[in-house]
Amino acid sequence: MTALLGDTVVGPGAGPTTDPGGAGLRRGAARVLLGNWTGTATVPSRTLYPHQWSWDSAFIAIGLRHLSVRRAQRELETLLGAQWGDGRIPHIVFNPSVPLDAYFPSPDFWQSSRAGRAAGAPPAPETSGIVQPPVHALAAWLVHEADPAESARRGFLARVYPRLAAWHRYLTSRRDLGGHGLAATVHPWEPGMDNSPCWETPLARIEPAAPGSFRRADLDHGAAADRPTDLDYGRYVRLAVDYRESGYTDRAGTHAFAVEDPAVNALLIAGEHALARIALTLGADPAEHHERARTLTTALVDRLWDPASGMFLVRDLVGGELIPERSVSGLIPLIVPGLPAPITDSLVATLGSRHFRTDATALVPSYDLAGHAFDRSRYWRGPAWFNTAWLIERGLRQYGAAEQADRLRAAFLSAAGASGFAEYVDPYTGEGRGTRDFAWTAALALDLSRPPHSKESTR
Amino acid sequence: MFKTAAQEQLLPGDTLQQKWEFAQAAGYDAIELRAKGDLHFASRLPELKQALADGVVMPTVCVEMLHFFGAFDPDLRRDAIAQMKSQLTVIAEIGGRGAQTPASYGMFSTRLPPFEAPRSAEEDREVLLAGLTELGEHAKREGVQLYLEPLNRYEDHMVNRLEQAADLLATVGLDSVKIGIDSYHMNIEEADPAASILKYADYIGHAQVSDSNRFQPGAGHLDWPAWLSALHAISYDGYLAAECRLTGDPVDAVRSIPGFLRGAGA
Repeated sequence: MTALLGDTVVGPGAGPTTDPGGAGLRRGAARVLLGNWTGTATVPSRTLYPHQWSWDSAFIAIGLRHLSVRRAQRELETLLGAQWGDGRIPHIVFNPSVPLDAYFPSPDFWQSSRAGRAAGAPPAPETSGIVQPPVHALAAWLVHEADPAESARRGFLARVYPRLAAWHRYLTSRRDLGGHGLAATVHPWEPGMDNSPCWETPLARIEPAAPGSFRRADLDHGAAADRPTDLDYGRYVRLAVDYRESGYTDRAGTHAFAVEDPAVNALLIAGEHALARIALTLGADPAEHHERARTLTTALVDRLWDPASGMFLVRDLVGGELIPERSVSGLIPLIVPGLPAPITDSLVATLGSRHFRTDATALVPSYDLAGHAFDRSRYWRGPAWFNTAWLIERGLRQYGAAEQADRLRAAFLSAAGASGFAEYVDPYTGEGRGTRDFAWTAALALDLSRPPHSKESTR
Repeated sequence: MFKTAAQEQLLPGDTLQQKWEFAQAAGYDAIELRAKGDLHFASRLPELKQALADGVVMPTVCVEMLHFFGAFDPDLRRDAIAQMKSQLTVIAEIGGRGAQTPASYGMFSTRLPPFEAPRSAEEDREVLLAGLTELGEHAKREGVQLYLEPLNRYEDHMVNRLEQAADLLATVGLDSVKIGIDSYHMNIEEADPAASILKYADYIGHAQVSDSNRFQPGAGHLDWPAWLSALHAISYDGYLAAECRLTGDPVDAVRSIPGFLRGAGA
């Protein structure tokens, strides 16, 4: 790493731009991505998130490919360099030159090189022990497609394919805690939607860690009203400590928190389709990936589709029930190819319903606008994120809903530019929330700023 | 899209008009001139004016001498300043943008024996500030700019990085003095060339291009898309002037540059 937290390598902030999708937006997005680059990877934010995050890096690579294919490849290679022996890609790869107190939980909390040794954690760098959604294979394929000649010259796909395949094997074997083929999530941080109301029931069983046993660094930079409560944070800490003390072992029946999340599994399926294309490009047999995509898709529909809600729901593996909360996670399966038409029709209808109102709102809210826990400013309880909008735009386009996709794309570009590439936005107004110059917002804006017809055929 | 230029010695042809014909056919937008000492550049004024009348675009000139305004020897320093003033006047007279010079070239390197420079860093700074101020004021009067080019550590011991140039320029405080960046030197000296372009955006006035090995862009391993993206991000509106050595067939090599740069995002 060549840049430290708070280093002045970053240029002036991108600032708001006023020409959605135009040259100004692209310049601003490029400025954020170049400014957040550390030499080997990109930090999500110079202030709030000073390390490398797993699914952030995947989304970042998708935008970075338009700026520098070499950097986009490096972004993914750096992340994969921290992969554990059991195949997991940790959700954070820590930059050793950043002070320990810059982010909590820090390396000395996760203790990956010691506590994760049996699971194959590398001796260095230090990482977290949990994972994030598997966007990586899709990202690798899109990065390859941006410049196949450079990809071939550097042996990019040949290098990342075995690691991506191992990652998916980890999720479909060790993380199949429900025994039905889907990957389970063992911490609310894993689906990347930390504070979603979906976790309330499963979290209520967890005894929080004592308030004095940890110090939250997220409140140093983020507004307390937007962040999770201290009680929830205590539960997050408890789950992570228990997981660490188990040596980061994944065994059915031993996790106090275990759920099957629709977005995680939808991304896994999209990733299997991407792995099939990668295998084919490398002259390998793609059959294994096609088969896994097929069985995962069947399991996703059997286990998580809720016709009454018109969307997918989270399944609580401890209680065994579907959790009756409408989260944006349940709409993301639109990116899965080959879903039955009644399901995709329902998903499109749900997007326009009173629960998400994408015809009237800026982007797709993270949670049911009519839900009991809706809060337009608190993390994952209402505000809209750009990565979920990018995935849903892609899904809408895949299923021929071009008009809705165009509207979402326009709202995305407008909100990204006007908010100065905010971390997330108010679901009604599109007003920026959280940190600014947020890397995946800039990256995905750069990606969507290209005309839809010129996008690669990766469906 | 950036405009591109080729230095005149790279282009085949006996006259500027012939070179311009080749340059245009290859996709260049301009020719960067080179200026020798002994007021040679001023002596070319009739030739340059005729070329201008014939439509040749010549926005910039790059010095081609062996002593510079940061020379240890006061006489050489005075001469270099006189030469640069003349070059600024001539480039103004033909409607150009400015003239590029390093602080020195080949005079001393602290990375090579005897390692200890005969002049202290403080004295270097005084000399550079005095020269930049005198030349900057002259450039201002002429309505053009002086571009200070940081060179790599083996070619100059005083100004290697954009940070050092920007520090001098901030002290000089004249809009008529800018940094002339060079991709080859930046590759050696900057930890992250693209980040340096963003950071010192306000000071950048001109850009010269060659690859990691000093050959034409495309012949080395620079991350051109990242470098060019940074120039786009700062809304750079100057030229990308090819100042490089050539590998392979020289005519093909020169012809390849505009297309390569476009393909890399220029």
